[in-house]
Amino acid sequence: MEDLLELAIHGLTLGALYAMVAAGLALMFGVVRLINFAHGEFYMLGGYAFWYAYRELGLPYPVAGLAATGILSAFGWAYEHTVIRTILARTWHVQLIATLATSITLTNLAILVFGTQPKEVPTALSSTILEVGGVRLAWQRLVVLGAAILIFAGLEWFVARSKMGKAMRAMSQNREACAVVGVDVQQVALATFAISAALAAAAAVLVSPLFNIFPDVGALLTLKAFAAVITGGFGYVRGAIAASFLIGITESLAAGYLSYAFKDAIAFVVMVIVLLVRPQGLFGRRIGI
Amino acid sequence: MTLTRRTLTRRIAIAAIAALILAPGAGVPRVAAQSPPPIKVGFSSAMTGPSAITGEGVKWAAQMLADEYNAKGGIMGRKIELYFGDNAGTPGEAVSAVRKLVDVDKVDVIIGQTHSGACLGALPIVKELAVPMVIEACSNPKIRELIGKTVNEWAFRVNPDDVMLANQFAKYMSRQAKTVSIFAQNDDFGRGAATAYDAAFKKVGIKLVSTEFFDRGQADYRPVLTRVKRAAPEGVLLVMLASEGSVFMRQFRELGLTQKLFARGSMATQEFLFQVKDTPAIADGLVEATYWTPALDPEWDKRWLERWKVPVRVHGSLAAIAFRYAVAPAIEQAIKKTGRADRKAIRDALEEIDIPNTPVGRIKFDETHQAFINMLIVEIKGGQLRLVETIPIQP
Amino acid sequence: MRAARVTVAAAVLVAAPWIVAAIAPGVQRYVLHVLIFTSLYAALALSYDLVIGHVGNLSLAHPAFFGIGAYAAALLGTEARWPFPVSLLAAVAAAGLVALAIGVPMFRLTEHSFAMGTLGFAVVVQVIATNWVDFTRGPLCVTGIPKPALGSWRIATLPAFYWLGLAAVTLVGLFYHGLTTFRLGRAFHAVRDNETLAAAAAIDPLKYRMLAFVIGGALAGGIGTLYVSYVGVLCPGELAVSLTVNLLVMVFLGGVGSLRGVLVGAAAFTALPEILRMAPTWRMVIYGLLLLVVVIRWPDGVGGVLRRRASAS
Repeated sequence: MEDLLELAIHGLTLGALYAMVAAGLALMFGVVRLINFAHGEFYMLGGYAFWYAYRELGLPYPVAGLAATGILSAFGWAYEHTVIRTILARTWHVQLIATLATSITLTNLAILVFGTQPKEVPTALSSTILEVGGVRLAWQRLVVLGAAILIFAGLEWFVARSKMGKAMRAMSQNREACAVVGVDVQQVALATFAISAALAAAAAVLVSPLFNIFPDVGALLTLKAFAAVITGGFGYVRGAIAASFLIGITESLAAGYLSYAFKDAIAFVVMVIVLLVRPQGLFGRRIGI
Repeated sequence: MTLTRRTLTRRIAIAAIAALILAPGAGVPRVAAQSPPPIKVGFSSAMTGPSAITGEGVKWAAQMLADEYNAKGGIMGRKIELYFGDNAGTPGEAVSAVRKLVDVDKVDVIIGQTHSGACLGALPIVKELAVPMVIEACSNPKIRELIGKTVNEWAFRVNPDDVMLANQFAKYMSRQAKTVSIFAQNDDFGRGAATAYDAAFKKVGIKLVSTEFFDRGQADYRPVLTRVKRAAPEGVLLVMLASEGSVFMRQFRELGLTQKLFARGSMATQEFLFQVKDTPAIADGLVEATYWTPALDPEWDKRWLERWKVPVRVHGSLAAIAFRYAVAPAIEQAIKKTGRADRKAIRDALEEIDIPNTPVGRIKFDETHQAFINMLIVEIKGGQLRLVETIPIQP
Repeated sequence: MRAARVTVAAAVLVAAPWIVAAIAPGVQRYVLHVLIFTSLYAALALSYDLVIGHVGNLSLAHPAFFGIGAYAAALLGTEARWPFPVSLLAAVAAAGLVALAIGVPMFRLTEHSFAMGTLGFAVVVQVIATNWVDFTRGPLCVTGIPKPALGSWRIATLPAFYWLGLAAVTLVGLFYHGLTTFRLGRAFHAVRDNETLAAAAAIDPLKYRMLAFVIGGALAGGIGTLYVSYVGVLCPGELAVSLTVNLLVMVFLGGVGSLRGVLVGAAAFTALPEILRMAPTWRMVIYGLLLLVVVIRWPDGVGGVLRRRASAS
């Protein structure tokens, strides 16, 4: 029983990680209908930016975290301005290949700049253990969960209430109409990418103290985030978040009770099953984010 | 209009190709040829791909070794020239790497391939091309059947595999734990070790409680740690490298596990201690069976740290063992005996050398071209490494 | 005029081992090896382009079919000791059958979902190959895979493997050409370019998508067989998702949907790195940038650029 609780809590940590990455992916697809294969690299670069600020510059954890998120926000903005803008009007084949090419470039540049040795960023909270009800967990895991909840609440508020958020929602529902009524489509796209990159970076800041950072870390994350986005129903941010937690918990339970070696296949098995049974995703094909 | 576009296209194409040619190159000879011809040594490892970190270690070691020997004037007055091959950890690329090193770079001897799949792919090629290859780290036990005087007289192996180490190490482990779980990386090294220790444990009365495999690059060990906690063995045998080991140990302690720790890989190393320098005592009591430790040559570690700014990498040290204690003496003997250091002379010398007192033990290749160096038991105590015991490996 | 050019080109290709031995005797074995790999990758890229270029299914499952064929041939050759031609047929059949089985559920999905579904399938196949150690040997690899042999006739030398590779890419190329021209080709393209219109014209999109997918997968399985017979060892790393990335680079750089384009792309990707010696990581960075620029600027790939220059001059 203790095991179940233990694995469930761990599954929540995983789920929060996947959710923050998948939310950005779903947002991008929802607003500009683009699949960004380089999304995992946002996480990876966010991780390195955080490592540099925290370990090399010695900034306090919250400052380093905000700095990393800010840097990636700017990077996401720049990425949209240069690469994405050129491919927005093209076929999805071109978009997939172009973003994949970006992923290859960024990953190998990271190897050249940071080296192949993984970087570790333990924090005070990741080394301090909390024991409750026979379950031991690092305080950092609670920070991950708490921060994720706050972030998602913030995202909800932003999309529902802020001017830009409303523009993003409108654009996700009907892009042509937006251009007609005078919504600045370019600005909305820039903001979407800045936010998505920031989300991925935030995930890295929160989660890397528990794991580590290396150039290839984005690859598997991108795939699992995609699995979550598809399972939740393309372009539906809440669906992606819910699916992420589903995948995280399933992965943790399956790894704990069934087989650890096969755990990476779990996300894909879940995705394929959902796709075959309900191709429109768990929550149906919704219009808008 | 058409003319301009064509010119533009052509210019871009030329620029791209120029970039490809002029960008930093691998395999550039380090020393210009002088009047006694240089000795060309090829190092082949995973320079790209998921295991690129191992290839980097081998490359750095090679560069340090070349500088070390060339500073003394080379071997018998002949300088060492380095060439690198990239096998990406796979057998197909290993074939390419070996063929390039032999036919294009014209190396006299190869040290490689670090990863068993690549070793297995390379073996028939070195036989076909008649070039000596000294294996420094491949651990697949099948290799012993595939090299040797009768099967493949061009391939040699310095490192032991777990079939050779398991009996001794299992005996050591049985003094401290009667039930053990194995936690191994999901590659040739981990799988080979798991099979070897499964058999060895039976002989010394250790009960193998469970065996788990993990994929490298997946730093999330909690579910399997929960399984280990449930299985409640007295000891855990970790078959992993320092880069995964540090994250693993943090999660191990996070769960409050207190099993006796044994290891095969690169856990009891400076690399590991560097990764956990915020909690250096995190793996106190861990005991590893290995065949290299800084105590054998503290200078090597110091020079590595000075030059590369990171602690020494195990695959670099393994490549150094192969070069320093097997290949370099063989080259020296070949030149002394025949005046030449060509492929056949080096091969013959490798077969004949018998050096009893190197820091890693006796270097002598038997009929199966396997050397039997010492097994070292290294312990982490007080955040420091301590060489506990040196056990010669029996053929 | 054209026939003469083709004949000369064919003669050069067949005589390559002797030509290489004459021009560059010191490196002839290496050059032949590079040519063998190039021909196998070219054949694989063509089989992939059949699926993505002509019918427009962006499948990411190709390494799985390559791997299924490779493992089938490797295990049948080492464990069951089947003769090579039978193993080859079995491997092709196995890959084709799995493609058929997977295709049915996958083609119910659209566009992006199809891509991700096939990717999921590829990941699952690799996980199985790595972890079902009792069957596939996992990371300990299948060794001692026999060389191709037909009766007493064995393919064991580099020139022999080169001709085998040349035959393979020629066969696949002819197949590709046949499937993508005439009425069948037009049906494929109709499905790729405008599915609704095609359906309205009584061209069943599913049938043609499945046809391309299964044939492409079966061919990939056959090439997997040739590959493992040449290398002699098979490890699960060979069917990693990174193979898809390589194939995508080859096809899109060269020119998706074009025979000549794909051949150019495969040759450039395989042979060029051997000619230009550069640090592999830098090479990957430049490939990434090149791919990015080419796919945006010249979606017809380098092949398309060459074609347009030829017709413009």
